[in-house]
Amino acid sequence: MSQITHRVVFQPSGHQGDVAEGTTLLEAARQLGVDVDSICGGRQTCGKCKVVIQGGRFDKLGITSSLDHVTPAGDDEARYFARRSPADCPSQGDALRLSCAARVVGDVLVTVPPESSRRRQVVRKDAGDRPITIDPILRQVFVEVEPNVLGGRKGDWERLQEALQREWGLADLSIDIHALRRLTPALKAGKQAVTAVIWNEREVIDVRAGFRDALYGLAADVGSTTIVAHLCDLHTGAVLATESTMNPQVTFGEDLMSRVSYAMMHDDGLGKMQAAVIGALNALATRAAASAGIAADDIYEAVLVGNTVMHHILLGLDPTELGAAPFTLATHAPVDVKARDLGLRIHPAANVHLPALEAGHVGADNVAVLIAEAPDQQDEMMLVIDVGTNAEILLGNREGVWSCSSPTGPAFEGAQITHGQRAAPGAIERVRIDRATGRPRFKVIGNDLWSDEQPASSIKATGICGSGIIEVVAELFMAGLLGADGAFRHHESAVGGHGTDPAHGLSSPSCHLRFNGRKGEYVLATADQTLSGREIVVTQDDVRNVQLAKAALYAGCKLLMRRRGILRVDRIVLAGAFGSYIDPLHAMVLGMFPDCDLGRVVAVGNAAGDGARIALLNRARRAESARAARNVHYIETAIDPHFQEEFVNAMHLPNRADPFPHLQAIGVLPAQACPPEEDARAKRRRERRERSADPSEVGSWQ
Amino acid sequence: MDFKDLPDEELWLQMQDDLYDGLKDEVAEQTHEALRRGYGPTEVLAKGLVAGMDIVGVDFRDGVLFVPEVLMAANAMKAGMEILRPLLTQTGAPRIGTMVIGTVKGDIHDIGKNLVSMMMEGAGFEVINLGVNNDADKFVAAVREHNADILGMSALLTTTMPYMKVVIQALKDEGLRDKVFVMVGGAPVSEAFAEEIEADAYGRDAATAVDIAKKYMAWKNEKKALA
Repeated sequence: MSQITHRVVFQPSGHQGDVAEGTTLLEAARQLGVDVDSICGGRQTCGKCKVVIQGGRFDKLGITSSLDHVTPAGDDEARYFARRSPADCPSQGDALRLSCAARVVGDVLVTVPPESSRRRQVVRKDAGDRPITIDPILRQVFVEVEPNVLGGRKGDWERLQEALQREWGLADLSIDIHALRRLTPALKAGKQAVTAVIWNEREVIDVRAGFRDALYGLAADVGSTTIVAHLCDLHTGAVLATESTMNPQVTFGEDLMSRVSYAMMHDDGLGKMQAAVIGALNALATRAAASAGIAADDIYEAVLVGNTVMHHILLGLDPTELGAAPFTLATHAPVDVKARDLGLRIHPAANVHLPALEAGHVGADNVAVLIAEAPDQQDEMMLVIDVGTNAEILLGNREGVWSCSSPTGPAFEGAQITHGQRAAPGAIERVRIDRATGRPRFKVIGNDLWSDEQPASSIKATGICGSGIIEVVAELFMAGLLGADGAFRHHESAVGGHGTDPAHGLSSPSCHLRFNGRKGEYVLATADQTLSGREIVVTQDDVRNVQLAKAALYAGCKLLMRRRGILRVDRIVLAGAFGSYIDPLHAMVLGMFPDCDLGRVVAVGNAAGDGARIALLNRARRAESARAARNVHYIETAIDPHFQEEFVNAMHLPNRADPFPHLQAIGVLPAQACPPEEDARAKRRRERRERSADPSEVGSWQ
Repeated sequence: MDFKDLPDEELWLQMQDDLYDGLKDEVAEQTHEALRRGYGPTEVLAKGLVAGMDIVGVDFRDGVLFVPEVLMAANAMKAGMEILRPLLTQTGAPRIGTMVIGTVKGDIHDIGKNLVSMMMEGAGFEVINLGVNNDADKFVAAVREHNADILGMSALLTTTMPYMKVVIQALKDEGLRDKVFVMVGGAPVSEAFAEEIEADAYGRDAATAVDIAKKYMAWKNEKKALA
């Protein structure tokens, strides 16, 4: 039985092909190789995959396209669009659809707007320069092997062993089958002189003719969104190349849990995701080797760090158990595996090392941060925060280290934010709001000028990325446009009640703050400043999502501090690529982490990547990390009796319960308007009266 | 502030306002005051506490109030309820309905579900909160024991939400499915998912969940009256 198919054409890329009836446009895009973003993995919530359906007869393409050549919008999609701000309101009307929801039922021409393309990410992760003693787990030795004699009864391997023992004192060695296969030709070609590569003083993993000193290693941080690999010279420790790419598993779900579900729900899910990440690592290794002018075959060791889910998928271990309490790991111990067993195309006998795991949600990446920052080797009380979709937090000093993981969600990566986006050219990354006028100015990635220093038309803003989201909310709060409770504030004159109709948003202190009904919304970029010609706004719901994300992060920090019995920390370290782009002042005003001397809040870049590099270059520190990981006290935040209290207190800006003396001292916190109590009550009562007179309808349960 | 001199109508309004502001001592005193003036517990509950929580619900749904404020209000409500509960039991006044609520197996997230639970109590429901990590047997047993009108299930992980379907199947197997209205919610849950697992309703947020529950109870009572 043949399947019914329909022709789908994507603009502006021109990709086209026939897809089976019922295929979603997002799936069709993927089948045809069209770049369409999706963060929620097709759950109709992120809205990043919006496309426009074109109607009409297109002779050149030989198709007639129509809005009803895709299935109509269901409740979830309708709700998604209903939630959007009017500023986002498509002039395209019904033609704007979520490509993950619209299923093909006829020929269709689809336009992918620029904001729906994933594009090439600006990934800003550089290898840091921490002092590392070079003492890798590999050594390369040159030996001259005795030639065989008639009746000697010793094979090539036995004679190589003798030579290694004699010249280098290496005993009890084994040999990898790949090296054994190369041994005889190498002896012949090198006239009995060969270079052997020895792993961990116990296994010969390669033999080559003559003298060679090419010994390279790869250290990679396999993040759920981004993979960064450093190619290092194992003799000098120099980083020869750094390459990064998106983690292609994003296709199977943005957050970790949706990847675990993908493995649960699809028989070949784990295999597909493993193949995807290995493919990406192979591409990175090839690119790094090419840019350094070496052969991928000369990469003899790899250290891969990642969270527990990435770790399990990489190794082909079923991650299902990580999806539900008690979050049981296949193993906590470090893993060493041959590259060829993973399909990693570096030297086939190369060892691939994955450091230890701490707990169900605290993985080798955090152990790498532990190696790099070494809080367990200092006197200062240090708080190390690796900000991501899942934040990992370490607290401690040489007396002990505590850790936890906090589900901040993807708000800081731009998801769940009306005009949020990942860090890419056009994204708003810096924001300042004038305290007196409430007017914003901002900076977009890829443009060095502030928005008020150039003509509006040259700004071409496309959205707001994580650092911009933090700054805009903190600035709104500092400018008094947002209350400590996170609600947009009507201007005093408006709440004074001289008959203004809240539905029309009159009398706000800034023409940038307006009210749709009772919900506030702040216009960050006006229509003429954006690429799409539509405003970029921050809605009340956006602020709420930021509050939830930052409260989760703060609550994690605070629970560790409670467990350790301290009220303040000496030093805060922001790890991770994102940490480098957060302005510490704005982050503290928002209340992302506890009060601290701002001069002692430092960003250290990709500490996980640095930790991986350290484990690659120094075997003692690699061994140490396994011990350190075992000694970390892990706290499961969700079941901590104080979690709810800390989480709820942390929803306020910066916090409802905890003081911020360092912020008070520099006077950046707004004086909280305290109207006389009776007035405030009377005002509230009047407002509520008006409201309850007009009971809004709610959705029916049927 | 002395509310002893307030006329009755003003007292109700003051009670609603103080509940909205999360002033639990005031709400407790006003509850005593209303009872002292001769109002029955059912009326104090309806005119003071439930009316106050209704406003909180609307403002939460509209984004004017957020979780901390709602929890404060719910605590104030609780202070009043503690005074009324023994009296309500004595008079045998029927509750608006009974709900069993819990987070499903494998999931240890609590807060969203607690919010729903408190708002449901605020709306006058009897709520049996099973906490986190509940297997199907626990849900089924609680529904049976409390003769629940409504079962609420919560999950915060994509990986744990499929378990809701297991619970619904268990209700079917036990012959309880037609007796209880199943509502589901939590960050990864959607209307489509609720439909797929044959739940009766999806509560997008705590306020919506309460609205749906109230509508369901009204419908159920109407049906009962007609029968």
